[in-house]
Amino acid sequence: MSEFGPDHIDGYLLVAAVLFAVGLFAAISRRNAIGVLIGIELMLNAAALQFAAYGRFTANAQDPQGQTAAVFVVVVAAAEAAVALALLFAVYRTTRDIDLEQNRELRS
Amino acid sequence: MIADGLFLACALLAVVGGVMAATVRNLFHAALLLGLCLLGVAGLYLFLEQAWLACVQVIVYIGGILVLILFATLFSSDITGLVQRRHPSLLAAGGLTALLAGGLALRLAGAGRTAVDARLGAAGPGRPTAMTGESATIGDLLMGDWFVPFFAAGVLLTVALIGAVATVQRYRNPKAEVERV
Repeated sequence: MSEFGPDHIDGYLLVAAVLFAVGLFAAISRRNAIGVLIGIELMLNAAALQFAAYGRFTANAQDPQGQTAAVFVVVVAAAEAAVALALLFAVYRTTRDIDLEQNRELRS
Repeated sequence: MIADGLFLACALLAVVGGVMAATVRNLFHAALLLGLCLLGVAGLYLFLEQAWLACVQVIVYIGGILVLILFATLFSSDITGLVQRRHPSLLAAGGLTALLAGGLALRLAGAGRTAVDARLGAAGPGRPTAMTGESATIGDLLMGDWFVPFFAAGVLLTVALIGAVATVQRYRNPKAEVERV
């Protein structure tokens, strides 16, 4: 049924689905803020891979629309990493730790 | 044959790296495994004939974001993860949500695959002939069809950088210092 190879879209979509699910798992279950950040990066990466795959497997593969969309995912990931690390640093300076569960400052 | 093997290696690198990055207990190892996963995805971009995107992936993700994450692991008092175990309820919630999302993603992938097959027919994807004009074409697109998103991305990056600096900055106001202590 499925063709797992470089010349078919199935493999790319499968890898992207697995990466997304695994990233979501990490983002929910990790107790450390960096673990959550790693999970979010995995999910963003899966999204970029899907853009690239759909962009490649079109009738006109010369037109790099999917590639351009994937670049924007990378931009969002970079901005998100910068802001997240700034927040981590600010939290660390007040509480000396970045555990999400034990941090009372971030609790409502 | 060699291409198939390399493709399989890249896909395995991405999947195994991602799964281990999400599950391994040591945070430093998790960050390094994330790097492996990103490298595998960069290889997949090469198989998609998108060399420029692969370069961006290596430079921005592995060279920039991954280094930032590795740097941030030093803030954690519990890098090895020995003190804090993950809570079983969190594990169950995460696993369940991930299974649902993965199932949904596979379902969508099936739909997308049928659409792609319908569009391309049995002929398969057309081979891009020239790789040389790739970045030039992307530049044209960014300044043409994608101008508004491009502009918004620029604004987003500026705001994110200024916000990050403002968040990290230590305020010099002596009154604020007293209040903080």
